[in-house]
Amino acid sequence: MDVDLLFKIAAIGILVAVLHQVLVRAGREDQAMMTTLAGIIIVLTIIIKEISTLFSTVRSLFNL
Amino acid sequence: MEVVQIIGVGLIAIVIIMVLKQNKPEFVIYVELIAGVIILSMCFDKITAVINFVYELSSKIQLSNKFVGIMLKITGIAILAEFATSICKDAGESAIASKIEIGSKVLIVTTSIPIISSLLEIILKVLP
Repeated sequence: MDVDLLFKIAAIGILVAVLHQVLVRAGREDQAMMTTLAGIIIVLTIIIKEISTLFSTVRSLFNL
Repeated sequence: MEVVQIIGVGLIAIVIIMVLKQNKPEFVIYVELIAGVIILSMCFDKITAVINFVYELSSKIQLSNKFVGIMLKITGIAILAEFATSICKDAGESAIASKIEIGSKVLIVTTSIPIISSLLEIILKVLP
């Protein structure tokens, strides 16, 4: 739970962007869309895990 | 020294957002979310210290724990609601942000009903 999460998501974002451009140049727009979707899903799983830990800590802290 | 860490995380997030904004604008919201979660979880140990201090104080003054619990609950709701509304406003969805605000305000009022009723009882007792 520190800065390397931020770098991980930035790396995934840049990778997806590059892959998208390469695949679009190579004429395979559908695979480009697939890689973008895959990148978004990976990032979403990471973020949902972090947000659930945040919400559980806040709930236990303030006994909501 | 923690403020330097918080500022560092914020600045790193801004730099990453600048890089990602041109070619992948949808990743900006994810970086914002993660930066918010990291900064909030950084200051949680300080929040636990403050909460323990508040409980010690309330036990000294014989203030009933019910009120302190309600106040803490309200601050928790406020923190989470503010986290969500600021993220929604950044994403440009101010309508959703205002809905979240309305919902959190309703929750806060309902949780603070016992305090209001006990206040009214005290006032009625004082009046002749």
